[in-house]
Amino acid sequence: MTTGTNVRASSWAPMRLPAQSIAGGVVLVAALAFSRVAGTAGAVLAPLWLLGMLAGFTLQRSRFCFASAFRDFFLFGQSRILNGILVGLAISTAGFALLMFRQVPFPQFGALPNEAHILPVGLSTVFGGVLFGIGMVLAGGCSSGSLYRVGEGYVASAVAVVGMVVGLGLLAFQWNWWWDGVISNEPKLWLPGRLPGGYGAAVALTFAGIAGAFVLGLWWETRQGFGGGLPARAADAEAPAGVRARLGALWRRVFVDGWSPVMGGAVLGVTGLLMYLAAQPFGVTGELSRWAQGSTRALDLGPGVLKGLDAIGGCAARAGEGGVLTGTFAITVGVIVGSLIAALFSGEFKLRFPPHKRRYAQALVGGLAMGYASGLAIGCTIGAFFSSIPSLSVSGWVFGASLAGGAWIGVRILERIP
Amino acid sequence: MELDVRGEVCPYPMMKAVQAMKKLKGREEVVVITDHAPCLETIPPQAPRHGYAYSIEQTGSPEWRITLTPRVPAEMGGAR
Repeated sequence: MTTGTNVRASSWAPMRLPAQSIAGGVVLVAALAFSRVAGTAGAVLAPLWLLGMLAGFTLQRSRFCFASAFRDFFLFGQSRILNGILVGLAISTAGFALLMFRQVPFPQFGALPNEAHILPVGLSTVFGGVLFGIGMVLAGGCSSGSLYRVGEGYVASAVAVVGMVVGLGLLAFQWNWWWDGVISNEPKLWLPGRLPGGYGAAVALTFAGIAGAFVLGLWWETRQGFGGGLPARAADAEAPAGVRARLGALWRRVFVDGWSPVMGGAVLGVTGLLMYLAAQPFGVTGELSRWAQGSTRALDLGPGVLKGLDAIGGCAARAGEGGVLTGTFAITVGVIVGSLIAALFSGEFKLRFPPHKRRYAQALVGGLAMGYASGLAIGCTIGAFFSSIPSLSVSGWVFGASLAGGAWIGVRILERIP
Repeated sequence: MELDVRGEVCPYPMMKAVQAMKKLKGREEVVVITDHAPCLETIPPQAPRHGYAYSIEQTGSPEWRITLTPRVPAEMGGAR
């Protein structure tokens, strides 16, 4: 490392240790080898593991952050990341509709497609969404955000993940109360089954909602005084000549420079679709929930039988799924490993300790809130939102709107914490 | 003014940069030192709103120096 001088690194000579790239290669090879091991526990686990890695890679490269999408919208009037999410939702919606149509061609008879994230709508969705929104702003990242930041070496994000597991454990003790009093009475509103126009009307309405959210974001951003878009990066300005230089530039674009949020959202949308095609939509709460229940069982203070969970779908931890290697494990741990690989290749891995002790408390409290809330809403920003709106479920929209409300409250709280 | 926000995650680096630009009102440049890559996307769009231009320099792995320079320094800073 150079010290004492002001290092001015051009875009072609990044100050990064080649050691990180080598480590990235080693982790990549090990992770690919692990897909073979996972495949022996269940054929579908290998593709789910690879897709989880792709999701983590994409989240890291595009610095995708559901928390910032909602938060920065209120805090500083930026809708860049929100637009990325909308692109991902649009792609997923088109693909999910086709997959669900193959399972349930005649939606009006009340059948629901298996594995689609069609969740109960009601007080639990609103309360869960608001609480999750507050938690993700406090913790500085949502569930998928905290997971991929663990892969980048953020210590406080690991605290947030632990908080989430504890929060999910706490909810398990109160689950039956919520189930009896609230959730068992909430309907699963699936648009194709409820609208006279079936799939066509449901997809049209969902696209209209996505378009509406885009226009709202554009309006708000303009009102806040943004022209939108960033000036071109230095790397784009110089056009490389020659095959080697062009390949190098391509490498930089994919592995070193950040991706645009729209690119990230698009890849994430396709990844989620492929996960659903392979087995189940993208979700990370289910696995954290399994960790929570495994811990309470190991300590012999389990909450007993949780009512209704087996039939509820979404990111509920299913009792029947035993063992360590499951679909949710492959996806969730795959996200962390994929992000680690991306961070190493771009030279962005670093063990980062927050400068103030209170950040750990924020991460823990935010994590607890997110855990409790995602247990209640049967999913987080991924499972109950990013995979739920494409499932043509009303719950995704209600959870999303509640997230926005919670993020707004979270911002008000955060502004008081220096 | 130099803001060392290494270890901080969003939204703190951006919040602190905006606070500094609001306080200094173009009298002084603001230098943000960060190891949080998302800042490279969140801080630059804030600069023109407060009369600043920006430049990014990679100073480490991963570390960046975002320099926010007043667009019209003499006019705004000279009077006081």
